[in-house]
Amino acid sequence: MNELGRILIVEDDPKDVELTLTALEEYNLANEVVVTHDGEEALDYLYCRGNFKMRTGDNPAVLLLDLKLPKVDGLEVLQQIKSDEKLKMIPVVVLTSSREEKDMVASYKLGVNAYVVKPVDFHEFVNAIKELGVFWAVINEPPPGSIRRK
Amino acid sequence: MNHNQIHRFWRSAAQCLLGSIVLAVLTFVCFRLNASVTTAALLYLIVVVLASLTGSFVLSAVLSITAILFLDYFFTAPFFRLTLSEPLDAVALVTFLGTALVITSLMSKRKRAEEVLREQANLLNLTHDTIFVRDMSNVITYWNRGAQELYGWTAEEAIGKQAHQFLQTVFPLPIDEIRAELLRTDRWEGELTHTKADGTRVVVASRWSLQRDERQQPVAMLETNNDITERKRAEQEIRKLNAELEQRVIERTDELKATNKELEAFAYSVSHDLRAPLRHMAGYAELLQKSAASILDEKSRRYMTMILEAAKRMGDLIDDLLAFSRIGRAEAQKTMVSLEQLVKEALNEVRPETDGRNIVWRIGALPNLYGDRSMLRLALVNLISNAIKFTRTRPQAEIEIGCVDGKENETVVFIRDNGVGFDMKYVNKLFGVFQRLHRAEEFEGTGIGLATVQRIINRHGGRVWAEGLVDRGATLYFSVPKS
Repeated sequence: MNELGRILIVEDDPKDVELTLTALEEYNLANEVVVTHDGEEALDYLYCRGNFKMRTGDNPAVLLLDLKLPKVDGLEVLQQIKSDEKLKMIPVVVLTSSREEKDMVASYKLGVNAYVVKPVDFHEFVNAIKELGVFWAVINEPPPGSIRRK
Repeated sequence: MNHNQIHRFWRSAAQCLLGSIVLAVLTFVCFRLNASVTTAALLYLIVVVLASLTGSFVLSAVLSITAILFLDYFFTAPFFRLTLSEPLDAVALVTFLGTALVITSLMSKRKRAEEVLREQANLLNLTHDTIFVRDMSNVITYWNRGAQELYGWTAEEAIGKQAHQFLQTVFPLPIDEIRAELLRTDRWEGELTHTKADGTRVVVASRWSLQRDERQQPVAMLETNNDITERKRAEQEIRKLNAELEQRVIERTDELKATNKELEAFAYSVSHDLRAPLRHMAGYAELLQKSAASILDEKSRRYMTMILEAAKRMGDLIDDLLAFSRIGRAEAQKTMVSLEQLVKEALNEVRPETDGRNIVWRIGALPNLYGDRSMLRLALVNLISNAIKFTRTRPQAEIEIGCVDGKENETVVFIRDNGVGFDMKYVNKLFGVFQRLHRAEEFEGTGIGLATVQRIINRHGGRVWAEGLVDRGATLYFSVPKS
């Protein structure tokens, strides 16, 4: 296994978190995963504030972002990231239940790097997560300043 | 002779008789008083003038001649003797006659003219239109019966009044501009508001004409007015109704928009929130199946499979329903599209369903259609996919796609198959949402496909219909208007 980039998951539903982690674990991608449960917490993590004041300042290699989130929703998080000089290079993958075209259009307009609709079928779901994890955390060369485990 | 002429004749005769008697008596009195010939002549002239003022030319002439005859025959010597042999008498007689004739003819001419005028004025009184005449300082000089009826003032009350003050006229333009136009073109038309004798307001369509004398100097203005108060009121009513209608349309549109928005929010929520628990059910069932595989018996494993299948079906249903509702909400973007190309694309999309099948395709000449490309494609995919599905039991499936010829206003497309068909008595159920004519174990499906087709075609202003026979195949048609 090569270097493994850190994955930041932003997901409010604990079941989805569990299923996502299970899928990542299956392919040994779960070691470098941070889970935040709403948009505010995600932004706290990225800006090293609140509960994440003490963490080192590097960016995650990829951010798996749900759209329907409490407090600050996914599109707002995306907008904040893409309009911040320090954060805009972080690859963001929207991972959502919705196939709504307007969400898709809004996400791409804000500069999302990928848009994935969570499949209902668990096999497909696991596959999707695995491929996302492998691609963004392993294959893809993340921008400079990302956290990587040697 | 009609009644009027008879009447006029007897009146003239009576006047003749009366005038003659008056003349004779006056002449008699004259000579009794020893008046001179000059006095008699003067008196005679006065009487002739007076007579001609009241009578016609003929009447005056008759009067004159009668008077001369009376003079000659009744009042001869000892008072006076008219001798035609004496030159002076002859001259006097000729002068009398001549003067009388000239004066009567002049007078009767004036009288005729006055009569004509009076007749014309009477004619103006016959019309229902309101007509009055103003001189150049706007003083009313003529007032017809229509004016009296409309405004409630008699001619006697109105004539001599300053028109604009009298009627409290409200002009649509400054009065100077109206006057300028009248002097320039000799006419003006517009709407005025007047006040009647009882104080109510009346709106009139007013037409002014300028009268000029022989030297082209303006002398009077003829004003013809039509009461349009009622018409204006009706117009205003219509305008008000229109405005109300428009307002109602706006309100309804807003309501519809709100409903649409709610629907959209609902669909959005379904799309997000209903799929998540479903995914969890499927996910955990899968995990359970994996972790408990060793301890599960055959029966339990079947239960797990059933749970997973149900979740999968629920997912399909939600996806189809969302797609169906999206057609209702999405804006149709119509262009000219090649049906041939669309069918090709649709066939590509359904290719996985034809694996391992023996299908004979018959695709006829296909025209261009005016419509929303992606919607029409979806409709074709649904129809072709249906045809593939319902011919599954045939060793050799035959599917024909073509266009019905000879339609002027619409393009009619059909998809015919030799599949299991359907009973025509259920044809009404074919296009309903969640309506299925086959059991799930025979042919899978959500029952939304043909409903989606119908919705797409309806949005194009077309129709869908079907013909079929049990076990003898089905033909599905749709029409799209030619733009």
